[in-house]
Amino acid sequence: MFDLVKELTGAFGVAGNEENIREVIKNKIQNVLDEVYVDTLGNLIGVKRGNGKKIMVAAHMDEIGVMANFIDEKGYIRFSSIGWVSPFYALGQKVKFKNGTIGAVFYEEKLDEMKNLKLSKMYIDIGAASRAEAEKKVSIGDTAAFVGEAVQEGDMIISKALDDRSGCAVVIETIKNLPKTENEIYFVFTVQEELGLRGAKTAAYGIKPDIAIAVDVTLTGDKPESKPMEVKCGAGPAIKIKDRSVICHPEIKKLLEDCAKRLNIPYQFEILEEGGSDPGAIHLTAGGIPSGAISIPCRYVHSPVETANINDLKHAVMLLRESLV
Amino acid sequence: MECISVLKELSVHTAVSGYEKSMADYIKESFGKDCDSVEEDRFYNVIGIKKGNKSNKKIMITAHYDEIGFLVSGIDEKGFLRFTSVGGIDPKILLAQEVIVHGRSDLLGIIGAKPPHLLKPEEAKKAVKMGELRIDMGMTPEKVREQVSIGDLITFKAVPFELQGKKLSSKTLDNRCGVTSLIEILKELRPFKFDSDIYVVATTQEEVGLTGVEIASYNLQPDIAIVIDACHGDIPDAPKGEAYALGKGPAVAIGPNLHPKLTKKVIEIAKSENIPYQIDIERGDTGTEAWATQVSRSGIPTILLSIPVRYMHTTVETVHANDIENTAKLAARFIVKAETEMEELLCF
Repeated sequence: MFDLVKELTGAFGVAGNEENIREVIKNKIQNVLDEVYVDTLGNLIGVKRGNGKKIMVAAHMDEIGVMANFIDEKGYIRFSSIGWVSPFYALGQKVKFKNGTIGAVFYEEKLDEMKNLKLSKMYIDIGAASRAEAEKKVSIGDTAAFVGEAVQEGDMIISKALDDRSGCAVVIETIKNLPKTENEIYFVFTVQEELGLRGAKTAAYGIKPDIAIAVDVTLTGDKPESKPMEVKCGAGPAIKIKDRSVICHPEIKKLLEDCAKRLNIPYQFEILEEGGSDPGAIHLTAGGIPSGAISIPCRYVHSPVETANINDLKHAVMLLRESLV
Repeated sequence: MECISVLKELSVHTAVSGYEKSMADYIKESFGKDCDSVEEDRFYNVIGIKKGNKSNKKIMITAHYDEIGFLVSGIDEKGFLRFTSVGGIDPKILLAQEVIVHGRSDLLGIIGAKPPHLLKPEEAKKAVKMGELRIDMGMTPEKVREQVSIGDLITFKAVPFELQGKKLSSKTLDNRCGVTSLIEILKELRPFKFDSDIYVVATTQEEVGLTGVEIASYNLQPDIAIVIDACHGDIPDAPKGEAYALGKGPAVAIGPNLHPKLTKKVIEIAKSENIPYQIDIERGDTGTEAWATQVSRSGIPTILLSIPVRYMHTTVETVHANDIENTAKLAARFIVKAETEMEELLCF
């Protein structure tokens, strides 16, 4: 599992530029499923045919990042965020453009107080001596992802983009161990989740499934002086009850809870006070699709050191697999 | 005063947004008497259908039946519950409230408040934060954990009571007063036979983003939609132009969210039939189901009638019986007229 997570988190896929990660995932699933295709927005959809219920499984393959928007005469690059990027998380990090160019992210030293740090007071230094030299490697409009190669310490994985490559890993592992079922299952690796759940919306409309289950990360309350939240790393996958974008359908919540009980695996319930997720778009689509989610508890979400427990991923695979039968 | 007793009964049922199933059957039964059939969709919208002779056109009337409430979000080491809201709730109104925690069984609880003796002067000035409030069920932590789980529903325990002058005060009058008027509309329509199908829809999840009506509008694809919801009643400190007098009739909304010709028609009808009404000027988003309905599929001509409700989103919401009756009367007369003049009304 760790090797898969490492490979997936290492692939480039800033929202709107998911080509590389899509290829990586496509190669892993295309010989296992009945059909694999890419829709207009770039969602990767793998189908297991059947005559039963139509189930959509969604994990988003895009990641947050930055976009170059101005290069000054000295070759420093100004940028804006793609998805929610904290200036404090970004400070002192490295970013990597799609062509491999790496830059340091730092801030204007004239800043009076650190609490006033904003992305607009920051820049990327790719070591270029002039605008012309910088432009040989980076054009405005190019996107870059944060650098944060996956490492494993005990049961914990630390990496960039666990949001939501850990969910992609769970779905890929499920595809490789498909349960016997008559259900027709659409495994969707969605795009542009970080820009407002956009891929999931068109994918759901195209598929019109009977139900949908997303796999994504959620926040935790198990850090020093955390905001109160019951979810902990290592206590099992979380069954989503609500976030800012959706109140999960009681039937899907019950389906997942029943599966977890049947398998006798640890699970917890998630109430996420901030942030949305793909079910938020899916449940409103095409006359209503009952939707829910399996969430991987993850610390430091949207930083290059996102941290999750590998056992939660393994249990999430078991839970997802059972829910598709 | 029959509508007061209908509303009283409706207001004590619980249907927190997303979890309306518990009340769907009750509404089905209320619609059943005056409909050819009643359906429930997968998101618990309840749809009463009056089949027309030709079924060539469809008119939809909606009022949401979900209510604001809470979910258990945590259990602390002493057995107090943390909670989060479903829908918009001002934490100020929560102090010293009685609630029902819908755990393995329904359990009574109270939201406490720090006594004035213990409040430091600076605390007294501070806003109340929901995250700092707790529910006390008087139970040991072990017992709480056995009975209550994260995500369990919490609702207000409120008893409806009548005020002077045909007014009722209770929880959830937003928008059970609208649902009451749906039931009244069905009664008003009893003598009429239509060519079009009439759909009376009690919708869900309005309080969390107009979800139910978005789903119902898409599925039913009506030619005309009438939305009935609550607007702010005339409380003493309401900003001018945003509150409407109790007892002076429904507020008819005018603005980009509403179809101009249909709106003009409904006002004409109110005048000619001597039904009291008020005008509600809406410059954009009406904050009601009309906003989602208007842009469903290729667009649905929509009108909005609002019933003034004082103290919205509290346990003492207050409404005037006449406003519910007049809303129903106006909507029903409008349906009769619009049904026969639809083609003319819908062309620009």
